[in-house]
Amino acid sequence: MPATIDEYLHTEHFPHIWCPGCGLGTVTGSFLRAALELGLKKEETVVVGGIGCSSRAVGYLDFSTVHSIHGRALAFATGIKMAHPQFTVIVLTGDGDGAAIGGNHLIHACRRNIDITCILFNNRIYGMTGGQLSPQMGEGGMATTAPYGHEEPAFDLCRLTEAAGATYVARGTAYGPRELQRLIKGGITHKGFSFIEAVTQCPTEFGKRNAPKGAIAMLEDMKARAINAKKAAALPPEELVDRIITGVLHEETGRPEFAQNYTDMLTRVRNTE
Amino acid sequence: MELWHSHILRETIDQDSLLVQGNRACALGALDSGVRFFAGYPITPSSEIMETMARELPLVGGVFLQMEDEIASICACIGASLTGEVAMTATSGPGFSLMQEAIGYAAVAEAPLVVVDVMRMGPSTGRPTTPSQGDVMQARWGTHGDHPAIVLAASNVADMYRLTMAAVRFAQRFRTPVTLLADEVVGHMRESFAPELVGRYRLTSGDFDFTEGYLRPDMVREVHPPHTLGRKGHPHVTGLIHDDTGFPTNDPKKSEQFLLQLHDKVVHHRDELCLYDVKNEGKGRVCIVAYGSCARSARAALKLAKEEGLPVEVLHLYTLFPLPVEIIQAVARRCEFILIPELNLGQYAREVRKMAENWTTVISMGKIDGTLITPREILDRLEELIGKYESI
Repeated sequence: MPATIDEYLHTEHFPHIWCPGCGLGTVTGSFLRAALELGLKKEETVVVGGIGCSSRAVGYLDFSTVHSIHGRALAFATGIKMAHPQFTVIVLTGDGDGAAIGGNHLIHACRRNIDITCILFNNRIYGMTGGQLSPQMGEGGMATTAPYGHEEPAFDLCRLTEAAGATYVARGTAYGPRELQRLIKGGITHKGFSFIEAVTQCPTEFGKRNAPKGAIAMLEDMKARAINAKKAAALPPEELVDRIITGVLHEETGRPEFAQNYTDMLTRVRNTE
Repeated sequence: MELWHSHILRETIDQDSLLVQGNRACALGALDSGVRFFAGYPITPSSEIMETMARELPLVGGVFLQMEDEIASICACIGASLTGEVAMTATSGPGFSLMQEAIGYAAVAEAPLVVVDVMRMGPSTGRPTTPSQGDVMQARWGTHGDHPAIVLAASNVADMYRLTMAAVRFAQRFRTPVTLLADEVVGHMRESFAPELVGRYRLTSGDFDFTEGYLRPDMVREVHPPHTLGRKGHPHVTGLIHDDTGFPTNDPKKSEQFLLQLHDKVVHHRDELCLYDVKNEGKGRVCIVAYGSCARSARAALKLAKEEGLPVEVLHLYTLFPLPVEIIQAVARRCEFILIPELNLGQYAREVRKMAENWTTVISMGKIDGTLITPREILDRLEELIGKYESI
């Protein structure tokens, strides 16, 4: 059993590729501390990433790790979980990887309620390819591919995944790594599809073109805008515009989990055969 | 493990033979060779493969998934394959196009995987219920980058069974994706099917050993040990160019070494991978080189040619890639013409021409109207060719 999160890391591959001030390491740290608390086994914990800055986290993690294809991490994870329901399967994805190219797989994984924990690092930009717009950027955002300001609204990914059938939905921020750790831990222990949106900062590509600039200002902005779901529930909708509602937003027990359901079906079919 | 693992065949094994559809025979071959994971998406003319798997896999404790699209299907199969499961998917042209990126991933991650493409007329939506052999070069070069490809082609129902088994075997042994090409006619035809009809290439479950020690000693240097994601150790798998540790590398020497290794493990085993059959060997001035449904017409044309006293032989290829270089060149050395009937505009004829043009004349006989090439059409072309030769 690892004593520190370092034992869950391939530190020999450091320094990592993330820029100074990036929040992806903070979110990865929250995940690792949650894994440490739960005592996750390296062999039977399969962590799948897609392609992008956030998905690169899997290259530093000492679990069974798969650095898959852009947008398809959840499809890989579905195959892994269905082949071996006893594995703990975690998907690390970004807003481009998970909500744009992989959006279809996201909603279908929610619908199946398969026991996978999906942590989506939302920095509202394509960082690795140099600052193109993401579906999470929102109206008015500036990007290399939105030089006059973006014209499209963003998804509310938590409402989207809840509506699609996820049975554990939570949101945290890189400003609150302890809260995020708690939310991720809750997601991993939950049996069913868990979706955790981790709001994080990209000072290099997002901060370059949008206010506020710099990691500290971005984190302070996150702090100012974050509001716990319980507090938010008492406020009128107009006071929640531009706020980041954090905490467990949806939790449902009792709905059948897909891998379990499938195993039950196998038993039923083979007994009647 | 019993020979006929599948439900349908167990029920009817007492009969001398039974009528089986090509797509069904493919699914049965998959089951009998140990495939226990299938994820797919419906598409004509391949859907019967997934329907059979949906019915049969749960009976042997396997996993069947209908995914949200073809990309998800192949990615779920790769995920399962990385944990050591024997996985397969099946599709047709448009779905095969969607799967290409993932096929490249499976090649780089060295994930064993069988992809069955029951070809229909294309491009685009084309004519979905019409046979074609238009995906031959896509099966070889559909994904980006330099990579090895093992491509088999089925010409009848028994082939669908035994070549699916061969595909599973090759995928596991060489740890790479293997494509089995069929066409709409082969997929949908019903034929008498019995163990003895499966013939000499029949690969029974007994031939397979999926435990870790299955690698032959001569393969150890070229093929990495099987994937055991989640079972043993805690490996890293990536589609990035990587070294022996499994982690990415940008080192030019290691990158080259990696890609050459992928290439060599397939090309260096051509003798094992290239399945073929020669009829009337050494007796022809013209050799018909054919695969898939056209090979049936070629074999029938050979009978007609014999009746007319025409010197013809037939090379029936079951393996299209890696290229059967030595086999083609042997034919090229002894025949004056090579005639290649195929349901495209000469995709494989171009490959044969590259291998054979130093010794012989390669003539493409392509057809793209959605109908099969008949034995009579081949015979007419043969008469024309031999007549032309004699007038020279």
